[in-house]
This record gives sequence, structure tokens and C-alpha cells, in this order.
Amino acid sequence: MKLYKKEGNIVQILSFPNETVEKGDYLLVEDADARKALIVQAIDVQFASIPGILEELLRTLPDGGELIQGEDIDPLEIAPHITYIQDASLLVCKIRATIENEGLSPSSSWLPSRSQSTIRKLSIPTLLKLARVDGKLPIVLGYTKDSSLLTIDASSLDGRLNIITGKKETGKSHLSKLLMVNLVGYKATVVVFDLNGEYLSLGMTSDGKRNAYYDKIQALTPSQNFKVALKQLDLHVLLGILIHALHLPGTSAREFRRIWKSLKEKDNLTLQELGETIRNWNCNQHVRDALFSRYHALVNSGFFTDNAAESTLLEECLLKAKDQGGAVVVNLRNTSAIDRQIVVEYVLGKLVESLTSWKVKAVFLFAEEAHMYLRETYWDDIVTRMRHFGIFTTFITNQPDTIRENIYRQADNIFLFNFTNEHDLDVVSRAARVDAETVKSIARDLPPHYCLALGKVVRDFPMVTKVKALDLKTMGETRLFFRNMN
Amino acid sequence: MIEQYTIAATPKYNFPQPGVDTTLPQRFLELSLYSLRQADGQYFQLNQQDTQQAGILETPTIMLQPLPLKPKFEETIVAAVDTSTMKIGETSKGIVIAVRGANVWKQNRNFRYTRLGPFIFHITEENKREVYNTLEKAYFNISYGCSHQGSPNLLQMPTRIANLLEKWLQKMLSKTISNGLILFDGSLTSGTADAPVQRIKEILGNARKKNDAVLAFSKATSLRTNGYLITDLLPHCEPPYLLETTGLKPKPPTVLLGDVYVARLGKANYAFRLDIDKEIPFQHRIEAVQKLLGNDLLLQSYPETLRLAHILCTFTANEVLAMQHFITCKYKLRIIQRPDMHRLLFGPFGKGESLS
Repeated sequence: MKLYKKEGNIVQILSFPNETVEKGDYLLVEDADARKALIVQAIDVQFASIPGILEELLRTLPDGGELIQGEDIDPLEIAPHITYIQDASLLVCKIRATIENEGLSPSSSWLPSRSQSTIRKLSIPTLLKLARVDGKLPIVLGYTKDSSLLTIDASSLDGRLNIITGKKETGKSHLSKLLMVNLVGYKATVVVFDLNGEYLSLGMTSDGKRNAYYDKIQALTPSQNFKVALKQLDLHVLLGILIHALHLPGTSAREFRRIWKSLKEKDNLTLQELGETIRNWNCNQHVRDALFSRYHALVNSGFFTDNAAESTLLEECLLKAKDQGGAVVVNLRNTSAIDRQIVVEYVLGKLVESLTSWKVKAVFLFAEEAHMYLRETYWDDIVTRMRHFGIFTTFITNQPDTIRENIYRQADNIFLFNFTNEHDLDVVSRAARVDAETVKSIARDLPPHYCLALGKVVRDFPMVTKVKALDLKTMGETRLFFRNMN
Repeated sequence: MIEQYTIAATPKYNFPQPGVDTTLPQRFLELSLYSLRQADGQYFQLNQQDTQQAGILETPTIMLQPLPLKPKFEETIVAAVDTSTMKIGETSKGIVIAVRGANVWKQNRNFRYTRLGPFIFHITEENKREVYNTLEKAYFNISYGCSHQGSPNLLQMPTRIANLLEKWLQKMLSKTISNGLILFDGSLTSGTADAPVQRIKEILGNARKKNDAVLAFSKATSLRTNGYLITDLLPHCEPPYLLETTGLKPKPPTVLLGDVYVARLGKANYAFRLDIDKEIPFQHRIEAVQKLLGNDLLLQSYPETLRLAHILCTFTANEVLAMQHFITCKYKLRIIQRPDMHRLLFGPFGKGESLS
């Protein structure tokens, strides 16, 4: 390999057919005299512009577009040299770091010698060692192209905002499950908004046996094993539901506050009493109607109960997970859009409450397709305010444009699966920790189950990995009509 | 004495009609390797130049007579020969050149080819005579070149060696093709260092014995009548046709072994000088051209078979790089870029040595 060109933080390297370099591979450009080396990553592999190549190709096809038949008598065996030059490739590489005095710096301001520099492939284990992508809490993400393990540190997810995205059926949920169970394994508290009921059986192996996580996964299905008694609710949590999920106007919210206080003073916080009080409350008819419609929405959700024995204390689940680690999976499958928002408002409100009072230290929140249940204002809340309370979110989506741009800008880690749509790639490339060329070039060619890890987990050295298989009953498979038809 | 090299040459020249000596030019290969070994470790300057094809004749006095032609579709094999040479660099003692030749034939509506080479030679003042004479003697049993013309100029050597290969390929075609048309690039002028009379006569004689017609097309000619190039004086007549020329008197020792025509064989407004073997009866000549019209593509009035022969033997820049790679890898020649003095002295006003 030979260094050909450097423009900004892009270098072009001439590579010959016996040097196989693919997109995503890392190379070390060493300048012995300067005692420095560049770590570069191939983001595109192109044909080298060889003079005369067009003529060479054209003359092989002069017979009406078909290959002309003939014999080449080439006693000096020049032909291999011709193909060697014809097949030379140009590697477009992004400078990731400079090695100087055994330390890494993100600088790309120096120019290595074109004639004297040596270029060689940098194996992923060596790079991981150089970048110090290790730690005491390893999570094996998967295998790199050179069959080495890509191991990240669980602490690099701690306090971070993560995004897992890619087109459908590329393995996003699989990776989120892998991260989730590993975090649980390190005694972390995890809350999952499970839109499709995929995470409910993570305590089982693929053949239906109990696994190590069996006792740590608590599945809560709203209006079944997850109900809330009004008595257990704080007013501000319920107001949050009414205002944000059920869009109760401010005037009506004020009246509701009075009703709530009145009932609380009487120690009579039941659904039935709430309904009666609204009916008899001395207020404007429009306000009463507004309150009544929300009341019925609460009742119809089936999420609220007057039976204390039926109610589940989310706090208890969180506390259970606190000591030995565990995941609270909120099953939002078969839940209507309004009810989903009610449940999510409640869970988030309770989480903030528990974290504020230090009942729980921190929570890793996994939110699949969050645009389906998260109100507009919560996005900013989650990435800014709630992060300080200790909610560290991982968004999982196959529609990257449903996540707002400011979320991408603040994302610490992005796990990117295949995207072919230019628009989707544009959206993802807005992330602050990644350059657009890398995203667009590498993500487009990722096979299913291969993921491009970007951000702090890989110390800003984008790495491609085949996500490790899990022996878990994942239940994430799509139901098919034609399956088993034959 | 030249040692026996381990590189095995392809044992048989792949062309119809076995039974004649059509073995690969083994001496080409041996001399190529031998000459390159002499250059081992020397400095080597890259230098790309256009190919130079031979074909010189003067003293024209001609008359023009249009001869209309009708394509004759009788199945006839059309074969063509062309060679190419290129200087691929310089060493401190001489030049490194590459030579390649191609035979193309059209039979049953399909083109096929045999390409020989590239052969790479390191030619120096010391070895140029030896290389040329050895090759000539090996392939034609007789050495005409140096005995008549004295020592060839070093810069003429690429063309001389390419001509030697071309004549050998022509000889092979004339010995192997029967009842066909053999197309040469250039003219049937003989009596020059590259085209000794006897050699051309032998080739034409072989062709006649096999009932072949030799048609030699010149891409460019310097023959003029009344000050105009003969290929520019085209009558208002529907092509295809031939224009006969008469009264050509070449300067001795140059001998014309063909009669010269101007051929406009397609609708395109291009015409070429066409030499047809003198010894062929007039009617057979016309028939030969008509068979060519019926059996070959004639885009821009030029036979496709001959065009392919040229295309296949021409060196592309890619191949030049590959040959430079080969000799630097195998013979450890070190590539150097000598400064272009024109560029150096005149800056943007210097057009480069090759264009000056």
C-alpha cells in the first residue's frame, strides 16, 4: 500500500490486489522518521484511476459486445502484471487519530511522508488496546471481520444517551436485548418500554428453559398484572397523565387539583368517588365535561383500580431490581395509543420520583419506537433533565427521522445497522460523534446483524461487528402467514 | 552462448493448417530475456512515446480511374497482421522497448486472434546489431538488414524489431491461410531495411501458392498527384470503388511489389491507399476486394479485421505500467524521472520533450 493523497482528514491510499482491505478496516500509516503514525479507517474502496484502463476494457469487447475469442501468447508472463495494475484499488480513509509518544491524539494536522511511510492493516484487538477500549465490566458485542471479539465496557453506557437504529430486520432489538441482559448481569436496573412484547421472555433460553435472568426479569402488562390505585399516586404524576397524555386544559387541571385535594383530605381517593365528585363539583359545565371525559379515559384504560390487592407498586419492582440487578419490562403490546401514553407518563413520573428521592440510584431505560408513546416535550426532558436524575436512555428505532435532531446531537453512542435510504442516513449522520461520510459509506453496505458502533463505547473509533447470538427466547420474530405452509 | 532458459514457450502457433514451421519466436523470447539481464540493476527512465509504424515511399505520378465494386459474399477467410512497439524507458546504456504482434482472422462471422508478446528488449549500442541479426537469422535464415544498411540507429531499433516480428507473422499467415485474404498494415514497398525485396517476395509468393490475395492498407500516404494527396481526390461516385494509379516509379533500391490503388470501400468519406500484389491477375484483384466487402465490416472504409489487429497489439498506458512493473520487479531496474529540460527551462512555455 502507498500513501497517495491527503485532503483535510481524508487520506487516499493505493492498494494492490494482494492487499485486501475492506470498508471499515483500520490501517496504520507509520512515518518512522517523524516517529508518528496515523490511524485511518477505510470508508470507501474504489478502483484506482489507471491510465489506459478504458482502452483496455474496450478492446476486449469489440465483437458486437461479446468477448473476442483468441489466444494470448505471453512468454514473459506480463499479463499478471497487467491485471495487478488494473485491479489496484484506491482506499478512501478517514483519519481517526495520531499515535505519538505511545499516546493517541485526534490530530490530523501533520503530513506523513508519501515515499517513506509504511502502511499496514491494524487489527481490531491492537486498536482496542491502543484506544484502551476495555474495562472492568466487559460486554461482548460480537465479532469483528478478523474474527476477534469486540468488547465494550458497560460503564461506557452509564450516564449516556444511546441510539440503536437501522432498517427493520437488521437486528436492532437483538442488540438492545444483548445490552440489556448484560447490564442486568452487572446488577443494573433496567426499564424497558416493550412495544411488541419482545422482552417478556428474556428469562428463558431459546428452548424454553429458565436462564440466569429468569428471576431478574419482571414483566408488567398494564391492566393485567400492572394496575395502579389512586391512593398510591402522587397528584403531580396524575396531573402529568391528564395534561400530557390526555391533553387536559390548564383551567380544568386547576379544578382537578382542587377535587384531588378535597378527596385526599377525606381520605377517599377512589375511582368511584372521583367520578362522583366531578359530577357534583361546582364548576363550569365545560370544565366538568372536560374532566369527565378524562375520567372515563382513565377508567377505560383498566390501568387504575380501587382494589389495593390488585395494584402493583412499580417502586417495589424497582427496589427489587436495585440490589441484584433486574429489568422491569413494561409490556405495551395490545395497548391503545392513549393507554400507552398514560402508562408511560406514569412510569416516567414514578421513575423521576424514585430517583429524586434516591430510592433508586439510576435506571437504564430502553425505549423501542419511542415516538409511539413519548410526548414531544419528553424528548428534551429525557436527554437533559432526566439524565441528571439518573435515567440513561437507549432509543431503538427503525425510523431515524422520528428522533429529533437535538437527540442525535447529544447521543453519546450510536449503534447503526444497515440503512439504504439516503434520507435515513442523512438523519443519522447529524449525530455529533460521527462524520457523515463514515455513516453513509459504511452503513449502506452493512449486512444484516452487522452493526457499526460509534461513540464513546468504542472511543470514537467506529467499528463494525457482527452482533453476538443470544440464547434467549426473544419473541421478536415477525408473524408470517406463509410460514409452515409446505 | 545464450543459455537455455527455463521459461517454456507455447509450443505451437495457434492457427489453422499445421505442417509448417509456425513455432513461437523462441529467439525473440531468449534475446528479450538475455538483453534484460544485461540491464540488471541499472537506472531506468520512464518515457512513453507513440508507436511508429513504417511505410515510406516517394516519387508519385498517377492517373485516376474509378472501378466500381460489388460485395461478393462467398465465404472467405479474412486475416490481418499488425505489430506495435514502444519505448518504455531508458537505462544508462540504452533503451528498453516492448514489441507485440497480433494476427486477427474472421471466419464464419467470428473474429479470432492470436497475440504474441509483449517481448521486452534492452537495446544498447553494444548489443543492437547482435539482437537484430540474431533474430533475423533465426526467423528468415538470411540476414539482409545490417549487411545492406549498416548499423541501425538505436532509436530506429524498436521499429526494426517490430518489423521483423511483423514480417514473420505475415510469413506465417501466407503459409497457413488458403483461399483467403491477407491484410497488411502499410504498403507493399520493398527494398528498405525493414522490408527487403526477397523477404516480401517470399511472403507474396507463399500467399499466391495458397491462392491467397494480399491487400496492404496504408492509413496515411504521402503520394500526391498535381500536388494533392491521392486519397483526397475522390470522384463523385457511389462507393465502394477503387481508383487505379499508374506510372509510379519508385526510387531505387525501392521496389513496388504491388500495384497502388485508392480504395473507398464505405459510405464514409475516407479513402486509403491500397497495394495489391502485382503478380495477381487484374480480375482476381478486383474479386479479392469484392470478397473483402462481402466478408468483413468496413466502417469508415477500413477493414475491421485490420483495425482489430491494430487495436489488439497497441500498448495501453496500463500495459506500459505493467511492463515497467515487470522489469523493475524482475530485473531490479530502478526507475528514475529525469528532469524534463523543456519544462525546467521554459516552465509553462515548455511543451515537453516529446512534443518539442
